[in-house]
Amino acid sequence: MLGDRKTRVSSIAEKPDGVGLASLFLLFSQLGLSSFGGGVSAWMHRAFVERRGWLGEAEFSAALALARIMPGVNVVNLAVLIGQRVRGPSGSVAAALGLLVGPSGVAVGLMIAYGALARSVVLQAAIEGAAAAAAGLLIAMGVSSAMLLVGSGTRFRRGVAEASPVPAETGHAAAALDRLRGRRRAAARLARRSPSLGAIAVLLTVFVLIGLLRLPTVPVILGLAPVSIALALRCAAERPDGG
Amino acid sequence: MADDDRALEALVVIFVPLSLVSIGGGPSVFAEMQHQAVMVHGWMTAREFADLFAISRAAPGPGSTLATLIGWKAAGWSGALVVSLAFFLPSSLLIFGAGRVWNRWRGSAWHGAVETGFAPIAAGLVLAGAFALLRESGSLAWATAMIVAGCRIWRPALHPLLLLNLGATVFTLGRAFS
Repeated sequence: MLGDRKTRVSSIAEKPDGVGLASLFLLFSQLGLSSFGGGVSAWMHRAFVERRGWLGEAEFSAALALARIMPGVNVVNLAVLIGQRVRGPSGSVAAALGLLVGPSGVAVGLMIAYGALARSVVLQAAIEGAAAAAAGLLIAMGVSSAMLLVGSGTRFRRGVAEASPVPAETGHAAAALDRLRGRRRAAARLARRSPSLGAIAVLLTVFVLIGLLRLPTVPVILGLAPVSIALALRCAAERPDGG
Repeated sequence: MADDDRALEALVVIFVPLSLVSIGGGPSVFAEMQHQAVMVHGWMTAREFADLFAISRAAPGPGSTLATLIGWKAAGWSGALVVSLAFFLPSSLLIFGAGRVWNRWRGSAWHGAVETGFAPIAAGLVLAGAFALLRESGSLAWATAMIVAGCRIWRPALHPLLLLNLGATVFTLGRAFS
């Protein structure tokens, strides 16, 4: 699987043609109704990056990060972004409704039928077990992404280089680079030696600050994003041929 | 009926702002939901709120269906519908706008660099999220999570639903025999 996915690392994925709104709605319904105990984003990754290839790995990551920074339920935000990418505004509506309508109906149904069951020890145990397994799905997703970062530093560089076809834009990139050069020299030197090393350092920093130290997500992302983006620009500029 | 109308109005007034400040996800405003529903408006007791929370976790999909359940408890089906719109629509409009701006720059140099730069951040966030789910849990949860992660990585064809069932079964049996 990982071999397959490496080919889709490039930030520009083919936009799927002819996905009907109804099938988009049903697909998101299926994702919503299948995910228990959290980890909905892992299901979306599986559906759209791994299985269908509608979004590239980097594209999905960017959507995920954007969905986290903005207010709103993270996975609903992600659904809106994916729907938008696939089918525009109506795609967003279909995706968000699909994700929410079925599960909300089930939740209200459970409430009516089994309100008292909420205190059942067996149900609590089953929920905890599903949540633990869902955490496992997320770990697998994070580890796979990390393996891609390690294994394909060159591919990520190439992705950036491919995404800069206009000379004027390259000028912007160079100017931004100049500004950042002084501040980020050490990090950039590290990244030049091994782009994946810089990316892994960013990954670990995010994990330590948010996972272990429980710092709030948004300031951490906003603080680290410029560093990580500068590393990406630096890598793209250092080796524009991608290798 | 007048009571219901007042409840619907209160639901809108509570949940629209919560939608717009729920930075970091739905759970970031659960405490305020509880405060409003239990203390301020008295739609339910703290115990009933805990039941709603448990049900929302037992139901599939995003845990934030909790909001819909609060609406249902406060004002029936119309309450459920009103809260769903009030809580999910404002933030969805915001992220849609952000996505539009983001997509407009597709193909430019910095767009590619931002995507590449976000890749390790997103991976770190996903792992931190998994850690948050497991933080308060015992060794059984950790072991289950690790085994599931291993299965997903080495046997990607295995359906995730199977793995979730595995976790639920292991825990249920564990509870039964302890």
